[in-house]
Amino acid sequence: MSSSHATGAPGEAVKAVYRHLDCLLQGIHDLQKAGIKDFTVLSPIPRHEIDEMLYKGEPSPVRWFTLAGGILGGTMIFSLAALTHANWPMIIPGGKPLVSIPPFLVVTFEGTILWASMFTLVGLLKFCGLPATNLHPAIKDPRFTNDCFGIVFERSGTRLKEIVHILESSGATEVTHG
Amino acid sequence: MSDKLTYAQVNRDIMRPLFTPTMAWHGLMALALTGLAIGGVCWGIQLVWGLGVAGYHPPVFWGVYITTFVFWVGIGHAGTLISAILFLTRSRWRTGIYRAAEAMTIFAVMTAALFPAIHVGRAWQAYWLFPYPNQRQLWQNFKSPLMWDVFAVSTYFTVSTVFFFIGLVPDIAAVRDNTRGYTQKLYAAMALGWHGTDRQWRHYMAAYGFFAALATPLVLSVHSVVSWDFAMAVTPGWHSTLFPPYFVAGAIFSGCAMVITLMLPLQRVFKLEAYIHTWHFEHLAKLCMFTGGILTYSYGCEYFIAWYSDNPYEWGTFVDRVVGKYWWVFATMVICNCTIPLLWWFKKVRTSFMGLFLVSIVINIGMWFERYNIIASSLAHSFDPAAWVYYTPTYIEMGILVGSFAWFFTWFLLFVKIMPSVAIAEIKETLRPPLKHDEEAAAK
Repeated sequence: MSSSHATGAPGEAVKAVYRHLDCLLQGIHDLQKAGIKDFTVLSPIPRHEIDEMLYKGEPSPVRWFTLAGGILGGTMIFSLAALTHANWPMIIPGGKPLVSIPPFLVVTFEGTILWASMFTLVGLLKFCGLPATNLHPAIKDPRFTNDCFGIVFERSGTRLKEIVHILESSGATEVTHG
Repeated sequence: MSDKLTYAQVNRDIMRPLFTPTMAWHGLMALALTGLAIGGVCWGIQLVWGLGVAGYHPPVFWGVYITTFVFWVGIGHAGTLISAILFLTRSRWRTGIYRAAEAMTIFAVMTAALFPAIHVGRAWQAYWLFPYPNQRQLWQNFKSPLMWDVFAVSTYFTVSTVFFFIGLVPDIAAVRDNTRGYTQKLYAAMALGWHGTDRQWRHYMAAYGFFAALATPLVLSVHSVVSWDFAMAVTPGWHSTLFPPYFVAGAIFSGCAMVITLMLPLQRVFKLEAYIHTWHFEHLAKLCMFTGGILTYSYGCEYFIAWYSDNPYEWGTFVDRVVGKYWWVFATMVICNCTIPLLWWFKKVRTSFMGLFLVSIVINIGMWFERYNIIASSLAHSFDPAAWVYYTPTYIEMGILVGSFAWFFTWFLLFVKIMPSVAIAEIKETLRPPLKHDEEAAAK
């Protein structure tokens, strides 16, 4: 990493560190206004403002994993219970049916919750890119899990000077590239 | 939470107790390991000599082990209640205490999970409980509440553990960034490459909400299912539709009391007063007062229904609980669960250290005796007077009970030294974020 001021080769990484949330939001706004994309925002906490600016309120697709897991889990556990009892017909007094819905609902409910949770976990890992082993070194700044916010360009393209200018003028306390 | 706190200070304060054990910690750990050794030796004796060393006496084949199983499953309720339900209802007082409460849940269910294996005697065959095709032509009965219980407890444990670990990931990343060498490598592996990118937070928050929504019905269902272990049987004193809400209220009552028992010393020893306030404990005490009220009503309701049903077996069992050989168990239950917790209706008591600590311990003693009262007194006084007996636990059973507490506290003591016991990222969320606008206004 070399310290700024914007003499580096176009295409290199750029990292801006912010001490203030409002300056970070200003930086994101200015970058978007200039039509600059493909940057990563880093924060020690989740902030709805960041999410709104970057994703415009679009819900996370994790929810489809939750739904699929719930349907699959419920169906599978009910089938397991029903097929078990059909395959091994126990003599039940009172002529009660072998495959009886009310008592099977308990395990069906548990299976639905369990599989929905497991699928949510898979969805979370998939969409978050976890375990993340090949993140750009600029992202791995310990200050971003402590008290600083950040904007990182892994490749700044041909607009390096403009990016650095926007980041500095928005109130970043440190802008580095290299 | 104080507005004077900064993000960096939150990191420093919450990570300060990690890794460097104090004399008090060593002392408590030594005590826990001693208890664990007592429990281990007692279980070893039972494994060698068989279940005869337990106090089982026909027809009482459920005793201290099932009592303790139900007790620990109940303790496990408060953690997920605080972490999931209070998350969905956006209760701000959950933030300071939910991490330790969640950990308590996991360790309580881990403790409870030992007891079916201990109770069946031949622990090496406990896997027979699980449904899978096998060569013994023995297929599990999905209409049995015991089978429901296996599913309920294992689902609860799995979902709670995932929920707990996912909540920890951003904080583990913060610990990783404050450590070096092998410790850092270990935390880096557990942090899964978390760095707080916009993409990570976006999906994380969505998934966290889903986990909370999925865990919420489990809070209510697990102890309902546990209660069916009893209510589905025709044994007098058990066969009641009141059991699910009665058990759930009792579980939340004892769970919140255990959170108070654990977190009061944690707050003082680790100097976390800036994050865990008296009003956290007051809220927990109020939750106990509410659920304790439901519990007291349920005790009364049980007696009314037993009398009103005009069923001599049912009424006989309930009268025997009060005036029979188990009167002392019943009296302990009522005094500890219905009478002494009334002290918390006085604000002075529920906001003082000793008032909170002592009453919370009393509640947990009372809740153990409640389960003992339900299980032992019903089985010992069933339909046939010729089969009425007096079951008392043996030293082996009591040793295993002591060992279960030691097992639980060992895990909790390890947890507070290797993981942040207060949620770092969520505490920061409750603070006003650092704004340049604020600094400029202050400068003017």
